[in-house]
Formats: sequence, structure tokens, C-alpha cells
Amino acid sequence: MARLGRAIVRVPRRISKGQVFKVQMVITHPMETGFRKDKKTGKVIPAHYITKVEFLFNGKKVTTLHTGPGISKNPYFAVKMKATESGTLTIKYEDNKGGKWEKTVKVNVS
Amino acid sequence: MITRRDLFKVAGVGAVALVAAPGAVSQSFGAKPKKISIEDALKEHLGVGLSGLKESNLINVKAPTIAESGANVPVQVSANIPVDQVQALYIFADANFNPWITTVEFSPMNGEVFFATRIKLAKTSPVRAVIKMKDGSLLTASKEVKVTVGGCG
Repeated sequence: MARLGRAIVRVPRRISKGQVFKVQMVITHPMETGFRKDKKTGKVIPAHYITKVEFLFNGKKVTTLHTGPGISKNPYFAVKMKATESGTLTIKYEDNKGGKWEKTVKVNVS
Repeated sequence: MITRRDLFKVAGVGAVALVAAPGAVSQSFGAKPKKISIEDALKEHLGVGLSGLKESNLINVKAPTIAESGANVPVQVSANIPVDQVQALYIFADANFNPWITTVEFSPMNGEVFFATRIKLAKTSPVRAVIKMKDGSLLTASKEVKVTVGGCG
């Protein structure tokens, strides 16, 4: 998969101070459980899934997700956040095969 | 046109395949995963079994009553509990091979206890959310989801 590990993150365009807003993200990832078999060759497809997702706002930890293969393919996550100042939201995520990615989005609080 | 000779050749290949087949079958059975019961999964992640959890109506689990495909079931969990009293949120699917789905660690910066994702379900089973409070107590709520086609293929 050429686009493995790509993510789309969505935050509201305008956020007022102290408002609780939703952060949504989708990662392109196969999320193989390791139980599924290739129908053509009959071989077991090795497990390949996201293990950890970290949300950091201005370097401070907001939420950490520990995930297993029970999450669907191309995982979707949504969490809520309260912002008191503008800044950058950094999302770090990794899978069980050592893949590591990072995505940043700007959060504008007015 | 198929001659008698050709027919024998084809039959011969078929016989070889039949002999080889049992080996292949036992191999694929060997890869079958071991099922972890919900009780064991809870003990592994929380230290207690089902009896150690307290049913709570403060937690709200949103999931479809009937899911057409078990590969993609949207689940949303929110709770009427101040976020600074909550340590973590766990999601389990009772009938999956590995019932543990995810653990979410919260911080006061979250504002609210809220989490949404899409999960896989092997068959009809309750989706269980467990909230671990900072004082150590465990609250739970669940929602039964009917699955037409399983998604842990």
C-alpha cells in the first residue's frame, strides 16, 4: 500500500476560547489481525495494525490511544479537546511493524 | 478431443492433489487463533473480572442495534463524568477472538469524556465500555450489537 500511514485530520475552523471541540482523524492502514488468510495462496497474512496514537497540543499530552487489531481497517478516531490558546496539535502514531508517522494541524482559537 | 491417454493424465494429477490436500488442511487449522474470553481479557487489562465492574448509567455507549457488516461498526462513548476524575476508557467486544479493542488515556485538556471510532465485531455481542476512575473504581456500560456478517475474517 503506497499510501500507508497517511492521515487526514479535521478540526473546526473557528474555535472560541474555552470551547470543547472535536478532533477527527482517519489513517490509511490495513489493520490486519494476523488471523486472516490470503484466498489465493492460503497463507496467513501477518498482523499489521496501529498500536499507539498520541495527541499532543503545544507539546503537552492530551490523549493517548492504545489500539489493537479490533479497530476497523482505515481507522477513524474522534476525541474532544478544550483549547484555551492557539497552537499546533501534533498527532504521533505507530504500528506493530515499526512504522512511525506524525501529523500536525494548526488550531486557531479566537 | 480428449483421448483415453489424456484422461488418465488428468486423473493422475487429481490423485496427487488429493494426497497433498490433508497436509494443507491441517496446516491451516494450525493457524487458528486461540480465543480469549472476555473474563480473561478484563483480568489482563483491568486486573478484575466481570464481577468487579459496576454498571453505571453515566456512561453512554452509542452503536447501531443491527450492523450489516461486522468489519466496520461505529461506536461512540461519552460519559457524564468530569474528565479530571477519569483515568482511562477501555472498549471491549465480548465475542471477539481478542475482546480488547482499545484503551484511551484522558487528561484534563480533553474537556469532556468522549471517544468515537469504528471497530470489528466477529459476531453478535455486547460492546462494552469500561471507565477507570482515578480513585480506582471501574464503571461499565454496554450495548448489544446484532451482526449479520462477521468482520474478523
